[in-house]
Amino acid sequence: MRGNLGRALSASIGKKAWMAISGLLLVGFLCAHLAGNLLLFIDQDGSAFNAYAEALSSNPLLPAAELVLATLFIAHIALGLKVSSQNRDARKVRYRVSANHGGRTPGSATMLVTGVLILVFLVIHLLDFRLDDSTHGDMAAAVRKRLGSGSGAWTYGIGIAALGLHLSHAFASAFQTLGLNHPKYDNAIQLAGKGIGVVLGLGFLAFPVILYFSSGAA
Amino acid sequence: MKLTLNIWRQAGPESEGQFETHALDGVSEDMSFLEMLDLLNQKLVMSGREAVAFDHDCREGICGMCSLVINGEAHGPVKGTTTCQLHMRSFSDGDQIVIEPFRAAAFPIIRDLVVDRSSFDSIIMAGGFISARTGSAPDGNAILVPKTDSDKAMDAAACIGCGGCVAACPNAAAMLFTAAKVTHLASLPQGQPERQSRVLSMVKEMDEQGFGNCTNERECEAACPKEISVATIAQMNRDYLKAAIFTD
Ligand code: HEM
Ligand code: FES
Repeated sequence: MRGNLGRALSASIGKKAWMAISGLLLVGFLCAHLAGNLLLFIDQDGSAFNAYAEALSSNPLLPAAELVLATLFIAHIALGLKVSSQNRDARKVRYRVSANHGGRTPGSATMLVTGVLILVFLVIHLLDFRLDDSTHGDMAAAVRKRLGSGSGAWTYGIGIAALGLHLSHAFASAFQTLGLNHPKYDNAIQLAGKGIGVVLGLGFLAFPVILYFSSGAA
Repeated sequence: MKLTLNIWRQAGPESEGQFETHALDGVSEDMSFLEMLDLLNQKLVMSGREAVAFDHDCREGICGMCSLVINGEAHGPVKGTTTCQLHMRSFSDGDQIVIEPFRAAAFPIIRDLVVDRSSFDSIIMAGGFISARTGSAPDGNAILVPKTDSDKAMDAAACIGCGGCVAACPNAAAMLFTAAKVTHLASLPQGQPERQSRVLSMVKEMDEQGFGNCTNERECEAACPKEISVATIAQMNRDYLKAAIFTD
């Protein structure tokens, strides 16, 4: 059989491979995003963070980077919804009792739910800081104001918690999907996946928590 | 012991099904799960009612005919055990047991607890064999197979094709079954000539039969009565992507 690349890569394993690649690249983005954000805690007046925000927004390559990022998100989300709907169709009548056989985790069982929560959060997040021109100038102050408010802290807290849970399954799952797994290092990958969920989850969660409790709103 | 059974009854593929409750007394803990159902059927038939239809053949864990989802678990609560090898000592007096057929769009119900698993046959027919001419049976040691490879092939070949992986999978995916067959043949020299076309066409058939996509939840591995490892799925994914990208 002549390998038809397009057909093969749109089949089940192909779709999953695209999800895994886009997902892993998004994890890479998140790491860079967190590292940049942490500049907010480096000084009191937010000048380091503002300088970083300014450098980003004045970089002529930013639109290209944003286009790549948007493509990754859209591809991942579109495939995630497609895969989930096919999976729903694959079992039309549900079990009356369905027990965990020992493989499912809270993260793995909720991928679609956490994915949709992340999507909602992403839209809010973009409206807050990317599409609102009034934040430009003193971004640090805008972040402190938004995340320091009760509603902001809750919104970001929930969005980030969903992200952490998504990642607790996603990272290791992506390796398995790409065939990059073997009993020799399966445990290590599983552990790294949980670790990434915890590090990125707690790392981002630090912002709403710290900003809320230091804002005087608490 | 005395049990309360909630059993799925469905007269035919197109009929509406429903759960039926039966109280069953006189169950011995030494009975297998299927013998317990035999006892129920005997009582039903004696009282002029229809026996519950369920699949079985060898009753020794090797043929892959028995099925059933018992209290939400494919092949019941004991690890590495087919329904026919499950014994009633795993239950207690007074237990309520919910018995459902394997549920998947690709496994339509024929009657009661019996499902049609011929979609698995279609996957095998798409490439789960070796058709390259190999001549007559070679001398025992004519084709040398490293011990690690033959072990790997044997572990994968332990799959009895029961469909428990599909039943247990939250997405009704057939990845563990297909991966076991692909890995079995990919681990042996005789499987090499068709290794790439095999994985491509078996996966294509698996999709066409309407099985779900794998989300790596590993419920299949946990439920598999032969304890086939999801390492076979990683191997199949690897082979598939390589074949999709690099075959001529
Ligand atoms: C920063 C955001 C996100 C990251 C880093 C991410 C990462 C990942 C990764 C690595 C996987 C595993 C893929 C695999 O097993 O092959 C995954 C699975 C999944 N993602 Fe995301 N994701 C993100 C956002 C989203 C969003 C917004 C949605 C949808 C609305 C979504 C829906 C899904 C679904 C449904 C799965 C499960 C499918 C599966 O396991 O096959 N994700 N994600
Ligand atoms: S009846 Fe043969 S495996 Fe259970």
